[in-house]
Amino acid sequence: MIELLAPAGNVAMVTEAVKNGANAIYVGPRGWSRRRDAFEMDDATVRESIRIAHEGGAKLRVAFNTNMQSKEIPDLLRRMETFVGYGADGAIMTDIGAIEVVHRYFPGLTIHASIGANILNNADVAFYREIGVSQVVADTKLTLKELASRKEQLDVGIEILIHANYCYTYLGKCWMSPYHRLERTTDDAGKDLFKGSPNRGGLDYRVCLEAWQLYSGDIKLEDHVALKNDAFFLLEDIPHLIDMGVHCLKVQGREYAVPLVGAIVKFYRDLIDAYETHPKCERFDLEPWKTRLAMIQADRDAQRSKGTQTLLEEARIPVGAIRSR
Amino acid sequence: MTQPFELNTTISNLRDLHASDLSLYDAIYLGNITCRLYEANLLEHLGDLRDAIATVKAHGLKAYVTSYAAPRNDFLPKLAKAMAVAVEAGADAVEVHNLGVLKIVHEAHPGLPIHVGGFANVYTDAGAEVLKQFGAVRITPNYELSLEEIGQIHRQVGLPMELLVHGKMPLGISDHCFLLEYEEAWGMKCPDLCQQDLFLKQGDWAMKSVGKGVLSGKDVCMLEHLPRLVGEGNTRFRIETVSESPEYRLEVGRVYREALERAFAGTDGVEERWWTTLRRHARIGLCNGFYFGRSGMEYLGVRPDAVASALRRPVAETTDYQAQGAIR
Repeated sequence: MIELLAPAGNVAMVTEAVKNGANAIYVGPRGWSRRRDAFEMDDATVRESIRIAHEGGAKLRVAFNTNMQSKEIPDLLRRMETFVGYGADGAIMTDIGAIEVVHRYFPGLTIHASIGANILNNADVAFYREIGVSQVVADTKLTLKELASRKEQLDVGIEILIHANYCYTYLGKCWMSPYHRLERTTDDAGKDLFKGSPNRGGLDYRVCLEAWQLYSGDIKLEDHVALKNDAFFLLEDIPHLIDMGVHCLKVQGREYAVPLVGAIVKFYRDLIDAYETHPKCERFDLEPWKTRLAMIQADRDAQRSKGTQTLLEEARIPVGAIRSR
Repeated sequence: MTQPFELNTTISNLRDLHASDLSLYDAIYLGNITCRLYEANLLEHLGDLRDAIATVKAHGLKAYVTSYAAPRNDFLPKLAKAMAVAVEAGADAVEVHNLGVLKIVHEAHPGLPIHVGGFANVYTDAGAEVLKQFGAVRITPNYELSLEEIGQIHRQVGLPMELLVHGKMPLGISDHCFLLEYEEAWGMKCPDLCQQDLFLKQGDWAMKSVGKGVLSGKDVCMLEHLPRLVGEGNTRFRIETVSESPEYRLEVGRVYREALERAFAGTDGVEERWWTTLRRHARIGLCNGFYFGRSGMEYLGVRPDAVASALRRPVAETTDYQAQGAIR
């Protein structure tokens, strides 16, 4: 059966996601995942999240998916040992060095290559397999044909993002945000934080969503250029993805409100269950699902739009002028 | 006596290669990493690639063949052929940004020197160690790394680090060329669209667009920091001119050739005429990228006046260069 993987930025979200039918949850330890620290967890909260997930019959993965610093690898191993001791079911990772080291020290731990690894082709998958990854998140820009080829050719678990945004650039291959604003701070535990750099674990200011003007020399060619950044839900593709044998459908959104995450998880749980139990000889009607998704989408878009506006405003504030979050 | 450093740059096609004076450089990276449709991209025109390698080597320079930053499955067969042509034609190394391509090249051509490019996202010494096992002999660390972090990787792994010392720093790569939307309105077709000098601007922010690629608006400039780079054991330096004119390639190359020779000789000092040249070519301004652990568009120099004067503003008025948009 296909796995539904849900985000959680706090304990209440873990509880809500488990209650609404997520098969697995992912959380980020503070300073080590691709989200701002408000949506990450201290160790005690990760431990509590693992307990809640396991009691609800779900798995819990810990996202160490930043591109950390060389000097942080020993600390990464200590943290990983702690979370493995708590019963974490897997680690989501990006940095190839960190993956290789963690696989060497914890050979039984399932390692998932994060979206930040930007795995684009079958040879990429083979590379990550060789260094210890057993499941990969497919880049959001890949086509169904490319995914099918991957499944046919490679013995690897594939995770598909079904509820997220296409960035203009490939995820993991973009540093537009820290080019404009990067604020380095250190948290109470001594962990370096890179506010403005998603690759390094800080928030993304989403500067690509600015209302850009296009110039050639001093001549303005276009007054408003919108770099492509669309929400996607893959609703019509989900039946194909299930038939294709994709291992996991993943939802993003640790930064959303708890009720919204609950509604999103419930929607996809119901959809997956309905598709998997409907008679295969009959056509699966997606129309009612489109109507239901539209309501969730409106709420989700409003929350994201507000978040984007706040981030773009923050990106204009000189470094040091605001308290780190 | 062997020269203690290498200064290299990038050229996408034969037209640019023939129009450029290469005498200031020690090595040339051949090919365009952002787009298969880039005008006469050497990675797609393998006869041209053979000619280009021969031309570069005839100048007594090293020829490196680069490869795509974000190759999908359908790129791989042609890319494998380009790498094979590189080997047959005597390229001195290939540059790889994609880890799948790294695996393919290493398996097909064991022993071929591989330079790992900036889009391969090398952030840690542990990551560099992994790549060493796949044939990497040189690494351009991710552009987000500070000099301190780069130094740690260099000391720990022992491979030379290649540093972008001048030019527009890559900021991102897309599968989508938004310029195609303007073909009709501008009366211009691909591949001419991205040959214009295009900048995305908003207030004091600016990024250069080359279609699928996004580059820094400002030119990374490490001119006055070369003694530090040399002192820390760096010997491989790149001037990124992939989206620049032959004049830029020549004149900026001349500045850095002289400055590096002086730095390696242990002689201090930056000539005013060097600043004049760099200021003339930096249409948006200068920055230091991420080398000092700050926002990439900032400039931290011991001679900030040299940068400020590019804007004809009195130095006294520019105490906070970024906030005042002084380094535009």
